Amino acid sequence: MAVAPTDVAVPGALEAVTGPSVGPRGRWRSRLGLWIPAGLVALIFFLCFVWPLIGPVGSPTGGNILEANLPIGSPGHVLGTDAVGNDEWARLLYGGRASLEIALAVNALGIVVGGLLGAVAAYLGGWRDATIMRFLDVFIAFPALVLALAIAEGLGPSEVHVIWALAFFSVPAFARLARAETLRIRELNFITAAGLSGTGHLRTLLRHVMPNIVAPLMTFALLGMGIIIVLEGALSFLGLGIPPPAPSWGNMISSGESTLSVTPRYVFIPSIALFITVVSFNLLGDALRSRWSQR
Amino acid sequence: MSANGLSPTGSDVEPLGGGGGAASVGAPLLEISGLRIDFHQAGNVVRAVDGLTYAVPRARTVGLIGESGCGKTVSSRAIMGLLPPSALITGSIRFEGQELVGLPERRLRELRGSQIAMVFQDPARSLNPTLRIGPQITEAIRLHSDVTKTAAHDRAVELMELVRLPAARQRFRQYPHQLSGGMRQRVMIAIALAAEPKLLIADEATTALDVTTQAQIMELLRDLQQRLGMALIMISHDLGLAASFADEVMVMYAGRGVERAPTRKLFEHVRMPYTRALLDAIPRLENASHSPLAAVAGQPPDLAHEQVGCPFSPRCPNATEKCREHAPPFQEQEPDHLWACWHPCGLERPA
Amino acid sequence: MSEPLLQVSNLVQEFTVRDRGGVKAGTVHAVSDVSFELAPGETLGLVGETGSGKSTLARAILQAPRPTAGSVRLRGVELVGLKRRQLTEARRHMQLVFQDPFGSLDPKWRARELVEEPLIAFKIGTRTQRRARVDELLERVGLDPARFGDRRPRELSGGQAQRVAIARALALDPALIICDEPVSSLDVLIRAQVLNLLERLRTELGLAYLFIAHDLALVKQVSDRVAVMYLGKLVEIGPAEALYREPLHPYTVALLASIPSPDPSAPRRPVTDTIRGELPSPIDPPSGCRFRTRCPRAQDVCAAEEPPLRKLAEGHFAACHFPVSQEAPAPALTGGAHDSSATD
Repeated sequence: MAVAPTDVAVPGALEAVTGPSVGPRGRWRSRLGLWIPAGLVALIFFLCFVWPLIGPVGSPTGGNILEANLPIGSPGHVLGTDAVGNDEWARLLYGGRASLEIALAVNALGIVVGGLLGAVAAYLGGWRDATIMRFLDVFIAFPALVLALAIAEGLGPSEVHVIWALAFFSVPAFARLARAETLRIRELNFITAAGLSGTGHLRTLLRHVMPNIVAPLMTFALLGMGIIIVLEGALSFLGLGIPPPAPSWGNMISSGESTLSVTPRYVFIPSIALFITVVSFNLLGDALRSRWSQR
Repeated sequence: MSANGLSPTGSDVEPLGGGGGAASVGAPLLEISGLRIDFHQAGNVVRAVDGLTYAVPRARTVGLIGESGCGKTVSSRAIMGLLPPSALITGSIRFEGQELVGLPERRLRELRGSQIAMVFQDPARSLNPTLRIGPQITEAIRLHSDVTKTAAHDRAVELMELVRLPAARQRFRQYPHQLSGGMRQRVMIAIALAAEPKLLIADEATTALDVTTQAQIMELLRDLQQRLGMALIMISHDLGLAASFADEVMVMYAGRGVERAPTRKLFEHVRMPYTRALLDAIPRLENASHSPLAAVAGQPPDLAHEQVGCPFSPRCPNATEKCREHAPPFQEQEPDHLWACWHPCGLERPA
Repeated sequence: MSEPLLQVSNLVQEFTVRDRGGVKAGTVHAVSDVSFELAPGETLGLVGETGSGKSTLARAILQAPRPTAGSVRLRGVELVGLKRRQLTEARRHMQLVFQDPFGSLDPKWRARELVEEPLIAFKIGTRTQRRARVDELLERVGLDPARFGDRRPRELSGGQAQRVAIARALALDPALIICDEPVSSLDVLIRAQVLNLLERLRTELGLAYLFIAHDLALVKQVSDRVAVMYLGKLVEIGPAEALYREPLHPYTVALLASIPSPDPSAPRRPVTDTIRGELPSPIDPPSGCRFRTRCPRAQDVCAAEEPPLRKLAEGHFAACHFPVSQEAPAPALTGGAHDSSATD
């Protein structure tokens, strides 16, 4: 896009002309930097959510014990089978779906609940702000993993309980971010202008504040995807996540750990998938953040 | 000099302008010719400066005047070598005969600060908020000369007194946030003068200051310039400031020089319609209330697009077909008065 | 005599400064006992530099935030102490144009939406009627609705963005528009365009302006009367022409002397003759006359007694013990009146 003609006197004039200085090569680099991780993330989602419904993917459970421990490349089982005969490829995909579902749910809760809480707290200010934030501080103070363990122990392991446990961790984090962004925005003149135009508090919050803080929240969510997936993996590894036989990358790593020296692939396959997924989300988050902060 | 900073005589300052003929004593200190600066930005090429030519004589003040985007800041950063690597610089910048374009960074760094110094617009961002101001000045001193810590301290206090910073010794230990905008700018000037440069570039140095502070700082710069025999490039969008403080004025538009002359000559015989427009747009105390300002419609051109013809032609009251098709050359049309226009304002108008 | 549109009486705005521990460390006296009136259709210019309190005064008049003390009557209605709903209703008649056009427009909204916002807030007209009104307003400020209506602020130049802000201010048909440095961040030529626009709107719509700026020449050009503020106090107020030809307060003299004149042959009086030193802190303003620490005419009485705003000519008031005039040349400097430790 051409530089918009500017007639604003001096401040930023140099930047208006030079802009973020990227040569023609740099422009390609930034394009690739966005589309490669975006493509990977899209591929991962497709494989985990869509492909099992339409493609020739077997069941992740109910394997034939006679087909146990088949190696990679066996006919009918591209990645082999696990110790009880389940297809590894299917387990990988379904396990990925479970992990991603959890990560999505936790981040969605974080953005909606945490984002709103933080924005409202900052917008209202004063004792209301202090009350909300102190309340949330309690949850930040708890080590996330310990809290998750307690919940899982108390309520029993299940996908939903894992989501609750991790939400205690993500909601305050998003709230802090939303609060910081809202504090910054609250002082800007266009919020004052909205008030002077007669717009009420609720409408100002929803139509002026929220749209302007969504971008940093989204990038935080993307980076958070990786964090939540790893946390879920840790919980599952400790036996407090998704209960077997339903697969998740965490419990696949956990159950493969005992035979690590003999069949390392049971650990490596989900680990590599985890790694690629987390890195893709991080790269995507970084690329979007640098894009959005230029505006 | 009295302790409260008043000039001793309190009489009127000599009116400026300089007569015709060479205002320089000997060869000019800085000579820019045919300077062209391109930036690559997201696939576009932005020609920020397009064939700029002017010279700065020793111990004189040149006012570089223009609106934002005209290239005045970019061209002066090129003098200091402060442009990002994506800037493509062609043409010539000669300082005391030495070519600066293409000079390796190491050599430029030697020149910067010691021979050529710069004062920026926003002192709040140019001073390190975590350091006291004294050390920031002594650092500049010790960077360019081999002196002891005590000698540097004394010199720093001397400089602070030179820029009329009240209570210099106490201020030495203060932090930038404890100083007002005007005082911080004085500190910036002190830092710039630490190595006694031959050329000082003031890039909108007073734009962010109050009007009374601006006047004080400009008077200070003028006084220093005369006392230290320093040349000064004064970059501003305020033509009035140039009228009061510059010996010579260079007006820029869309990356080009469009008019240049000694100050008095320029204001008495304005030739470029753009300069005329700038002058007419300045509110005057003499104007009656509610009198309209002569305004030119439109806005400056988008430098990402190639300019055909005179860049001011879309907005110029004197524009003709010729102006839109052929860019007028920037050349000396009257003794010591250069401009680039096919249809200059020919009538003499009082400034 | 018609009733004044705006009456400001003894307005005070103070802010508490707290140190790191939250303990009160001082009070910023941003606006101290300011009074003036504005007639319908009149333009009052308000001049002051950093720390003068002019922007704070504008916000205090708008009750955003509410002033510490004093009275503001708009069309006879007292604004101080009004409940929120009534205040919103009263604010219809008084709008604000900010200095930074980009800061005052939500970057995510389009031009049309920004101009329509006040209409929606006050539930004016149907959707179609509102649309038509928005287009009309955009045209009035010189923006073609077809070209600019759907643009976001970042797709606009500074001058265009300010026009959108002005269109928004006009939406509710206010009687008064407070312009807080409306052209300071714009380029010289664009400044003239926007100023001419404001003038045109004034004659077309009979608007009154409170025009705030630090440029005295600019303010004088657009105003009927001019008020000068220094460190929270109103120090001089009078007809624009009179203030320029016969300034009464030494600070006004300093402001006039500081204006760079685009006439190189005019003799320049060094500004250090008219004003010296630095601005004192608004937390601890000088006793008596707040300008005394920088005034070349200050005497002992200036530290002891605060000068009241006195009428010294027709419609022309100044707060000074030794106002400038032909009959009273500058008194000899006693040198004891200014307290050098008051400078920061």
